[in-house]
Amino acid sequence: VGLQEKMAVSTGVKVPRNFRLLEELEEGQKGVGDGTVSWGLEDDEDMTLTRWTGMIIGPPRTNYENRIYSLKVECGPKYPEAPPSVRFVTKINMNGINNSSGMVDARSIPVLAKWQNSYSIKVVLQELRRLMMSKENMKLPQPPEGQTYNN
Amino acid sequence: MAEPSGAETRPPIRVTVKTPKDKEEIVICDRASVKEFKEEISRRFKAQQDQLVLIFAGKILKDGDTLNQHGIKDGLTVHLVIKTPQKAQDPAAATASSPSTPDPASAPSTTPASPATPAQPSTSGSATSDAGSGSRRSSGGGPSPGAGEAPPSATASILSGFGGILGLGSLGLGSANFMELQQQMQRQLMSNPEMLSQIMENPLVQDMMSNPDLMRHMIMANPQMQQLMERNPEISHMLNNPELMRQTMELARNPAMMQEMMRNQDRALSNLESIPGGYNALRRMYTDIQEPMFSAAREQFGNNPFSSLAGNSDSSSSQPLRTENREPLPNPWSPSPPTSQAPGSGGEGTGGSGTSQVHPTVSNPFGINAASLGSGMFNSPEMQALLQQISENPQLMQNVISAPYMRSMMQTLAQNPDFAAQMMVNVPLFAGNPQLQEQLRLQLPVFLQQALLQIQQGLQTLQTEAPGLVPSLGSFGMSRTPAPSAGSNTGSAPEAPTSSPAPPATSSPTGASSAQQQLMQQMIQLLAGSGNSQMPEVRFQQQLEQLNSMGFINREANLQALIATGGDINAAIERLLGSQLS
Repeated sequence: VGLQEKMAVSTGVKVPRNFRLLEELEEGQKGVGDGTVSWGLEDDEDMTLTRWTGMIIGPPRTNYENRIYSLKVECGPKYPEAPPSVRFVTKINMNGINNSSGMVDARSIPVLAKWQNSYSIKVVLQELRRLMMSKENMKLPQPPEGQTYNN
Repeated sequence: MAEPSGAETRPPIRVTVKTPKDKEEIVICDRASVKEFKEEISRRFKAQQDQLVLIFAGKILKDGDTLNQHGIKDGLTVHLVIKTPQKAQDPAAATASSPSTPDPASAPSTTPASPATPAQPSTSGSATSDAGSGSRRSSGGGPSPGAGEAPPSATASILSGFGGILGLGSLGLGSANFMELQQQMQRQLMSNPEMLSQIMENPLVQDMMSNPDLMRHMIMANPQMQQLMERNPEISHMLNNPELMRQTMELARNPAMMQEMMRNQDRALSNLESIPGGYNALRRMYTDIQEPMFSAAREQFGNNPFSSLAGNSDSSSSQPLRTENREPLPNPWSPSPPTSQAPGSGGEGTGGSGTSQVHPTVSNPFGINAASLGSGMFNSPEMQALLQQISENPQLMQNVISAPYMRSMMQTLAQNPDFAAQMMVNVPLFAGNPQLQEQLRLQLPVFLQQALLQIQQGLQTLQTEAPGLVPSLGSFGMSRTPAPSAGSNTGSAPEAPTSSPAPPATSSPTGASSAQQQLMQQMIQLLAGSGNSQMPEVRFQQQLEQLNSMGFINREANLQALIATGGDINAAIERLLGSQLS
């Protein structure tokens, strides 16, 4: 549990956005987790820490297997009180993801729909990966590898 | 100028490289390029450079980039994905043997795609149903090595026969038109798995399929199967094993289960392959058992070169039957009509090759019937609804048949081939294919007549062959098959003819339209006979006594068996024995 979380829990104070994001940046660079998701700032010079890139490695034994999905995560000014907006860059066929734009529909992804400020970019990416393994998604036919959305 | 070591060169950085499975620490100069980094990694992880995909902070590291560029510093972690060509992600090490997509529609096309297992035969034409397509993968009949394998492979090979039966292919007729017709329909069926699953799901079909005896009869009647059974007694064991039959039918009904089983079988097969000498055994199995079986199945369709090789392709005159079946009429005479040869011959009984058609046509009625019923014969929604209801409830169907208005309708049909033609047109199977419709329309009047002729012959045959067993029919003096057969469910109606011997018809028909009418009425009566049938106990009194004297003292069970077999003592005995043993 990160410093920010500890602070939030013990003091009940909302952790400032930038602190949170910096911590997430650090985690992303250290490769916290099992190595199946990765995230980092899209632009290292981005002082607002708004635009992030994420990466999900398709889980095995699904139609997403062996693929690397690139995402863009945008943490708005209200983050972490408000959920980030997430968009797939790599084309994917999955429930809750807009087929033509790659936008993740916040209402269909549980973590985004019921966002809590203790959630993080990592949580979102891991959740998306978990959803890839669900029965309803794992067998969906996927577009050829390497295709991206145009916007 | 020489640099003092370590003084000016930047110290190498330690970067952790992590795969979902593995973790390695790599020391590298921080000014290094991603390419160099990959070289190091490929050595450490024993993978080719081009298989490596590096991810840091959500970005993929390209060969031309430098580590510095991405901000990779000492102590940080980079993610690694090692791509392998066969879709088995290195970290995941997924060696799931994913069988070729269970896609019934691609029955013909999967054959080239199937892995080199010899036991996966190429069936070009035989698989029209899920059942049939499952049989592609079967490894031949009983003698498969693994005990657990016997059921699936047996199942599958039986199903190859079924596949033939259930497919519309049995529509093969003497005329060239029909071959086409049949092929077209088969193609349609193959390309439309939905249609197939509709057919399969229809309660009528299911009903029929839940009757192992019926299925067994059907399979056994195919002369190829009979040959096969002689050569390979295991197959006949299989067929006689009610458990296995039931399992097979379960499978046929449930495509998902079938796929599961096929997959298991595939895996078992591939295990077999790896056993020394296993490959040869498999191959032998295939050639000895499966090929003949498949030829047998294909034969029924008569739509490929084998049919000419293996002898005359059976010409089933189920086409006429189909017209009958458009009404909710299971045709108890269906076995006999096809025994006469080409429709055009005016009904001269030649028997012989006809027998194989018996069973395909028997099942066909239900298959097509089910499909066509739903289409609504009269194009009116109420009628359609009614028909659907009927098709869903075989009991209801029986009642309907015995209703007087049905009778008149059928009479009308008999008298008016055009009407029948019209209805024929509505069959959904043809909906997409106007050519077929045309052909059918042309042939229809001919069929109708022939159908009735053959029915008449059948009746006469029955009369001659089983006079003792058969009380006389209504006003026409023709014999009536035992009430049980009429009274029994649609599923077992075809059993009646099989229980009473049905050798080829030899008498020549009268061919007048009045005869047709007569026939229709007789048929109606027969089917409606369920209304007048006596209690099974009374009907089977004689048989029950016989069974009793043979030592089968369980009256209940005897009665059940007799009902199920339609009064056939031998079959009933088998049934009783089978249920005792299993």
